[in-house]
Amino acid sequence: MPPFLKEYFNRNGIGLGSVMLGLVLFWTVGLIILPQLSMLDFSFRPNLPPPEIGGPKDLYTLENYKYLIFGPEGGSQDYNAVDLRVFYRTLIAAVLVTLFNLMLCYPIAYYLAQTKGNHIRVLALMLIIPYWINEILRAFALRIIFGESGVLNNILVGAGVFDTPFDFIRNDIALYAGLGYAYILLMIFPIYNVIESLDRNQIEAARDMGASWTRIHRRVVIPYAKPGISSGCTMVFMLSAGALAAPQILGGPSSLWFTQLIYQQFNDNSDWPQGAAYAVVLLVTCILLVLALMRVFKVNMGDIGK
Amino acid sequence: MKNFSLMRLSIWVYLALFFSYLLGPLVIMSVTAFNSPGFPRAAPWECLTFEWFSALFQDERILNGIKNSILVGLGTVTLSVAMGLAGALMLTQIWPKLRATYYTIIIAPILIPGVVIGISTLVFWDRVNRLFGLDADSFLSNGLFLTIIGQSTFIASYCMLVLVARLQRYDIGLTEAALDLGATHAQAFRKVLLPFMRPAIASAAVLAFLASFENYNTTTFTFGEYPTLTIELAQKVRYGITPAISALAFIIVVLTVFAALANEASIRRKELVAAARKSATVEELESGKLRLPGFLSSNTAAVVLVVVAMMTIAVVGTATVYSPAQCIADVKEQKRLETDLRIQELLQRRAEEKARREAEQAEQGGGEPAVETTPKPSNNSGFGGVFAPGALQDDSTEDPVAEPDAPASDSGFGNVFDPDALQND
Repeated sequence: MPPFLKEYFNRNGIGLGSVMLGLVLFWTVGLIILPQLSMLDFSFRPNLPPPEIGGPKDLYTLENYKYLIFGPEGGSQDYNAVDLRVFYRTLIAAVLVTLFNLMLCYPIAYYLAQTKGNHIRVLALMLIIPYWINEILRAFALRIIFGESGVLNNILVGAGVFDTPFDFIRNDIALYAGLGYAYILLMIFPIYNVIESLDRNQIEAARDMGASWTRIHRRVVIPYAKPGISSGCTMVFMLSAGALAAPQILGGPSSLWFTQLIYQQFNDNSDWPQGAAYAVVLLVTCILLVLALMRVFKVNMGDIGK
Repeated sequence: MKNFSLMRLSIWVYLALFFSYLLGPLVIMSVTAFNSPGFPRAAPWECLTFEWFSALFQDERILNGIKNSILVGLGTVTLSVAMGLAGALMLTQIWPKLRATYYTIIIAPILIPGVVIGISTLVFWDRVNRLFGLDADSFLSNGLFLTIIGQSTFIASYCMLVLVARLQRYDIGLTEAALDLGATHAQAFRKVLLPFMRPAIASAAVLAFLASFENYNTTTFTFGEYPTLTIELAQKVRYGITPAISALAFIIVVLTVFAALANEASIRRKELVAAARKSATVEELESGKLRLPGFLSSNTAAVVLVVVAMMTIAVVGTATVYSPAQCIADVKEQKRLETDLRIQELLQRRAEEKARREAEQAEQGGGEPAVETTPKPSNNSGFGGVFAPGALQDDSTEDPVAEPDAPASDSGFGNVFDPDALQND
């Protein structure tokens, strides 16, 4: 038995120590690392019926990744324009949703963190209540509002803004509103946590020295809140790029989200390796994007999840 | 000072807008649960009805989904709290050089898209299943097992974060003291560490249950034969929506508000009791005559809680005796009358127009016969009344009540499918 393991068992006892070690290994290796590796491996294999798996035809291939870029073999187009466009659109839209959420939530987080009083508790409670309600039901609520004969159209047509009802769902406005709505809390909490620990005297000092309101935020509050902001942005970006429920319910019939393509590969085409390849592409791209942005804004990985 | 108050005002306006974005959809959805039209809508209001609630409670699939959700939730809570606690304890002991890597690994599932977790769980356990040479319907490919495993992968990370926060305030000296006094490791864990961690474990368990209950992205790949409530809801919402779903949402909203208020009230009560103890004299404390504040005194949350509870009882009471049949019949009658009225109006307008046009023609007309220039009434053509001059005017008057059978009347077809379109000639 290596010395560090011996010390570990000395400290925790044999029984308790092995239960703990067993749980941690099961979680990290059995649930996190191996499934991801297995998905990666699977994405390089051809789609075979179950009896042939592991047989002579089960060789590594790049076919699934080629399909995403070049489309079906012998197809009429040089590139798989449909899927690539969906992929591109998903990423851009996720970035826009993240920025929208940041702009929406920063003032609220700042206000909640820097104001004292009883009403803050009430506001915090009102903030949390929507998040106890199912994701599907939240999307459903927005669909009632944005539908063709929905509340918003009734109001707008009634007020004479539009002559005929505006199709919010086909124009993806409902989708963006839904994605933004779904992740507000994840943006507010990290920023709130950081700003709450900011000493109010720093703001007072900046004000006394004649700094304007925008300058205080740009030079004092935002640099201080950077870990919270990046943590919130990372979570909102990853979750909205990987969202499935909101696009399925609120998305227009002609515009798909990349996760919907993955879903189709799995459930409608039952081409698991193809779906796994798409999932790998989504995961790797999102992680690279987040890491690149973290490097640009000089934030550490350890700040995430605080 | 004027500047200051302007800023205050704008803050309040912003807060109001923000919270109406946040809560407005839920309020509107709740209202639709009580309105009688078959498509969930808040306006126009027709009849107060409770039929959507009874429709909800008669829906086998929803009930089955709730049962599965609870099963999955219990499994996930057990597994992820255990793994989260082990992971958190390990974080305090692990070799410092390995700590950053270890932390990245156990925090990563929060950032991995749920879809990816679902797929990787499915693929991996399918392979394990084949490795052991088991059948396709073995324990390892059971939907319940896969869902619990898949959800626990990332829910354990949430639990870990909650537990680590509490563990950081734990004095390891307490465990050491217990061991010195002759406790076994298991005893020290059960009698010292666990009681200290209890509040954090409780909140981690609640968080885990809620996260599991509302998870869709991962579950949609793993559920197999055990569709959870969320899966059933998603399928219903995707293939046509009814106010029964609003009714379910309303129940969840009410339960949530209850839980939140009860939590607030108990926190406030504890504060008040502590304050009363603090200001009491020693004599009062010893004689046990200390009068603790009543449950409702200076506790707004408790008062609101009681009011909401009473309102709920009143609503449920009304629901058992109330019947909307009369109202629904009235609305139908009213709709019929309105339709009739509109037909009358249209006919009258058409007659007036015709008269006017004839008069014009007669004025301009020199020798030309009036009949030729008057547009022929197109009621015999295959287009129904689309080209009838009155048919398009309906759009501008936009009155959804009057079109009970054609909710899609604003579509590009004009009013071809409107029941009055054919009658009006």
